[in-house]
Amino acid sequence: QGHLQRINRLFSMLESVGLRPSLDSYSAALECMGRNQSSPKVIQRCVQQLKKDGFHVDELFQQCLFEEDEKEKVLSAIRIVQPNYQLPPPPKPQTCKASLLPDFYSKEKTVSYPKLDFSVQELQERFQQQLEMELDNTVTIESVESAKPLTPQAIKARKVLATLRSQWHDSILQALQKSKRSMSRLKTASGYNMLYPYLYLLPDEEYVGIMLQILNTLSPQGESLAVLARELGSKVYNRYITQRKLRSRQLEKVQEIYEDYIHLLAKDSQPDEYLPREYWEKLVAEAGFGPSLNLKDCSWPYMLLMRLGMHMLELLVKAVKVPRNILNPRLEPKLIPVLYHIYSFRSSWQVGLIKPHPIFSQIVSDAAETLLTFNSSAIPMLCPPVPWTSPHFGAFVLNDTKLMRFVDGAVQHQMLLEQCPLVNLHPVLDALNQLGNCAWKINQPVLDIIISIFNDKGNEKLDIPPPISEAPRPPAASSNSSTWNKSQKHKFLLCKKKAAEMHSLRMDALYKLSIANYVRDKVFWFPHNMDFRGRTYPCPPYFNHLGNDVTRAILLFAEGKPLGPNGLDWLKIHLINLTGLKKKNALQERLEYANEIMEEILDSADHPLTGRKWWMNTDEPWQALACCMEIARASRSPDPAAYVSHFPVHQDGSCNGLQHYAALGRDLIGAISVNLMPCSVPQDVYSAVAQQVEEFRKKDAEQGVKIARVLQGFISRKVVKQTVMTVVYGVTRYGGRLQMEKRLKETEEFPEEYLWEASHYLVKQVFNGIKEMFSATRDIQTWLTESAKLIAQSGQTVEWVTPLGLPIVQPYYRSRSTVAGRGQPARQQAKAQQAGIACRKPDTVKQKNAFPPNFIHSLDSTHMMLTALHCLRQGLTFVSVHDCYWTHALTVDVMNQICRQQFVALHSEKILQDLSEFMLEKYCSPGRETRALWQKKLMEQLSNVPRTGEFNLKKVMDSTYFFS
Amino acid sequence: GPGILTRTLLNAGVRVVALENNSAFLPNLQSLENSLDGQLKVIYGDFFRLDPLVSGTVKPPAMCSDKLFETMGVAAVPWRADVPLKVFGILPQRKERVTLWRLLFALYECSSIYRCGRVELNIFISEKEYKVLTAKPGEARAYQALTVLWQVGCEIQLLHMEPWSSFVTNLKNGGLAIPKTRWLPNDHLCLVRLTPQQNLFTGALKPTNSATFIFMVKQCLVKPKSKLTDRLNSWSLDNGGKLLRALEIPKNAQTRNLYPEDYRRLFEVLQNSSVFTETWFHDEVLESIRNINL
Repeated sequence: QGHLQRINRLFSMLESVGLRPSLDSYSAALECMGRNQSSPKVIQRCVQQLKKDGFHVDELFQQCLFEEDEKEKVLSAIRIVQPNYQLPPPPKPQTCKASLLPDFYSKEKTVSYPKLDFSVQELQERFQQQLEMELDNTVTIESVESAKPLTPQAIKARKVLATLRSQWHDSILQALQKSKRSMSRLKTASGYNMLYPYLYLLPDEEYVGIMLQILNTLSPQGESLAVLARELGSKVYNRYITQRKLRSRQLEKVQEIYEDYIHLLAKDSQPDEYLPREYWEKLVAEAGFGPSLNLKDCSWPYMLLMRLGMHMLELLVKAVKVPRNILNPRLEPKLIPVLYHIYSFRSSWQVGLIKPHPIFSQIVSDAAETLLTFNSSAIPMLCPPVPWTSPHFGAFVLNDTKLMRFVDGAVQHQMLLEQCPLVNLHPVLDALNQLGNCAWKINQPVLDIIISIFNDKGNEKLDIPPPISEAPRPPAASSNSSTWNKSQKHKFLLCKKKAAEMHSLRMDALYKLSIANYVRDKVFWFPHNMDFRGRTYPCPPYFNHLGNDVTRAILLFAEGKPLGPNGLDWLKIHLINLTGLKKKNALQERLEYANEIMEEILDSADHPLTGRKWWMNTDEPWQALACCMEIARASRSPDPAAYVSHFPVHQDGSCNGLQHYAALGRDLIGAISVNLMPCSVPQDVYSAVAQQVEEFRKKDAEQGVKIARVLQGFISRKVVKQTVMTVVYGVTRYGGRLQMEKRLKETEEFPEEYLWEASHYLVKQVFNGIKEMFSATRDIQTWLTESAKLIAQSGQTVEWVTPLGLPIVQPYYRSRSTVAGRGQPARQQAKAQQAGIACRKPDTVKQKNAFPPNFIHSLDSTHMMLTALHCLRQGLTFVSVHDCYWTHALTVDVMNQICRQQFVALHSEKILQDLSEFMLEKYCSPGRETRALWQKKLMEQLSNVPRTGEFNLKKVMDSTYFFS
Repeated sequence: GPGILTRTLLNAGVRVVALENNSAFLPNLQSLENSLDGQLKVIYGDFFRLDPLVSGTVKPPAMCSDKLFETMGVAAVPWRADVPLKVFGILPQRKERVTLWRLLFALYECSSIYRCGRVELNIFISEKEYKVLTAKPGEARAYQALTVLWQVGCEIQLLHMEPWSSFVTNLKNGGLAIPKTRWLPNDHLCLVRLTPQQNLFTGALKPTNSATFIFMVKQCLVKPKSKLTDRLNSWSLDNGGKLLRALEIPKNAQTRNLYPEDYRRLFEVLQNSSVFTETWFHDEVLESIRNINL
């Protein structure tokens, strides 16, 4: 505000405690001087001091973040002393040199970015809609249940609820204002008082709105205090961020740049040879002045979110009341709290719960309200997402989204991303942008059928959760439950548990379907981010393509492409894949089978609910139905090859984790069994392992091992499947034995007294079998585990870098209790918090056990991203559900080829060698510490990279069933 | 174990039934059994795995109390009758807390060992748990739900205290495998006698509604510094103020300042008011016992 004196005072305070001003401090001082047009002498002194501290004037403009007109003011101050000063030129865009993407970024070979089927004008309108939605923070939509007729009882209950809500609004407002007043009177900075400023960030009405919203969404079973508190706290935080973006004019700038950015994607504008990220960066550089797009760091510590939320919860519990006799006029008219606070005891610890009073739950259920309110980030975007250009910027227009999701308060990965040179992240950012730029639309006929079943009685077999009215009723025994016997109590509790489960399933489906219904006539986008291993996820939580069969069945690509010569065949094969039949048959046989049962397919498509219902008895019934309908339309069109299809066709990796292991270890037998080798029919690794185990068993039986004889005839694919599948994810002998025991128990003829011994024997043999087939794989797994163990034991976390350059750190630390107690001394809490962030020790067991699976996941995500980027260059639509890749029927062949090429390219890198070198450098470089014993041991371990087998990786190129 | 406690009891001239959970010790004990004329009976079983919660067949050393009493030839007597049976034992240090809770639930429900009457427990427990059992209202950290419930349920007598230093150890560091404590003293092993109160079920408290009592006490003492009125209000009680006045409990009393007897009286008054008949309270109580008794 131009108060130079105060800034001077602050500088001298800093000096007196021996702190040096940072670049940002100088920027603030100069801004102030520019604002009140200080004398050249003052500014000169400041600039000199800045240089003395080892900074350069240019760095002010290259490194500091600015809001509003701050940048202009700093510049005007500089120009008072250096009239000819010119802003430093924007940094030259750097090009990523990842060895896996040699051609991708070379300018000579660039092709123009694929256009969307929208004009600039249309995309701008959609952007406006999205912006308005995000400015409101929440969206209220009609639920799909609104189609049901309204009962008189509901009308009455809704009236009651409306009256109550307006009363609650007033009493919450009063309670809030009263608490602010009483806080302002406290002189000392107690923990309570710490919240004071945070209750003035928004208008009172907004706090009240947030609290009322929580009240509306509380489930009848209640919710834990901690969850509610965090939700309340983050809601306040989100609104505050929105406000800051508005005030600092950051939003204005985003808006300007987005409007130019849209030209890259719109069909009626110049083709540009840029990637979305590159184009956005270019526009930002050209814009020059004005606020920065990144806000200065303003994230709130976890503890603050919790405490603010706790305070608001407390207000809610105290302020919100309902007349006790509202449902039963014969009772005394007395106000009772709507929420009660109770503790639930789980063995040695307790959880605070907030539960709604049954009277309130009853009114809410009677009212059967059909409006749902969501955070705007829960709705798919109505315009193409803002491209990711840094770990802080991308995805939604206003909603703060992190590039990497975090696990309970861990910040290490965020710091790692910040330290990483931005250019190294380019491939990852570009892959996420590519996934997010896929436009979607709703498969309306399928959605309508699903909603009709949902609004009727649901259908558990088809995964449509029935309404709560279909829940089993508890036995209507005598009302006095104290006289119940054990079995009555047991039955009662079972009913309650079932009802609670049904409620949550029903609500989940209601959210998904209602959001889908809300966007039924729109085109929409899912912005993506990733977890700490680089696996990608769509940001909107409820409705997205990662969902279950029901949600996947209602999604279509917005862009249509003709089926082409092979498209219809791919649709048919895709249908058979969805049914789960013919898994062991060649593609040609699956196609022939589809042609054989064409009549069933057409019947399902034409009379889904009244016909022979072939689709209902498949593995993925809803996607199968959608596919039947698509096949019907395509096959009936005059020229199926020209039929424009929006239907996504999937290609699945077969046991993808083992595929990566087998490729890493070049295990020949293993590679064959997971389809890395070309074969005429798909190989089944589970059967192969079962066969191997059976051979071991025979040998043992001949040598008179008793349990091997007992097991004769019991070893099958089914018995070993789960264990083989989970071996990749680090299942131990202990866990494996439990799985075996479960399978054997399901086998009726198996004698019970041998369960323990048999499962013990089997798990040993399965591990041996895998060792035999995937010999190098087991060595690699052991090597990874042992390395991680030594690293964690030395007190460090396991870190590595993916072949695409993404830095990864495992976020597992020893647990600490979350202090959110009310009335706990603030000092104590602050201490706990500091200790929490600065010196959390790694959780050795988790660091060790999770490393192999995490490492494999970081490889499968790399493979996916490589495939995504190369599909982009070929103009393909591409999205993924981890190891399941989607594209148009027309382009399945091209995608399959790219997918194989990239797998070969990825594993042609010296992955393990590179990992070993990276870790040696990181954990064992000399001079880091005196050479302790552990360091020698670790060095030896890390240098000893396991040897690999004979498999010729190039064979993958010709393997049909690698992904199919 | 090697049977030191058993021999001491035998020397005192009483009839002893010894439960041994480790088969390694059985042969020795059995030869002792054979050398005596029916004064000792040795059973392979574990007192701390009596009446396991999991359903299904019970395999030794876990066992059912019915079967045990049948083998021992002990018949049930009415609650108000004399002590039918005395139990001597040492609580495993690592499971002390859980064991005390399980015994408490059994006591209030008259189930498990308490099915045959007011069984007297003579148990060795650590000093810190003893301090909890005998804490006075207001004692920070020590006065807990466990305190209130044991004091209402039993007469608690300290028979002997032995410093931990009297015990030998096989740990390398020469220490004992005793959990560390931060707040309460823990320098002794205490022999404590817990005799169930004869008048436990003479008032409104019954084995059938005792779960509500336990639930109420636990809820109150989760936050010992919270006010009793706040707790009562959060249960949407009709007229908490009047109720406290009738019980002569100060309006701003903290839950940790109430005597065990106060809780009993509070329960009796509430039993007659509307709170406990509210359906939600029922459900909560039921839920709270789910993990323990069903």
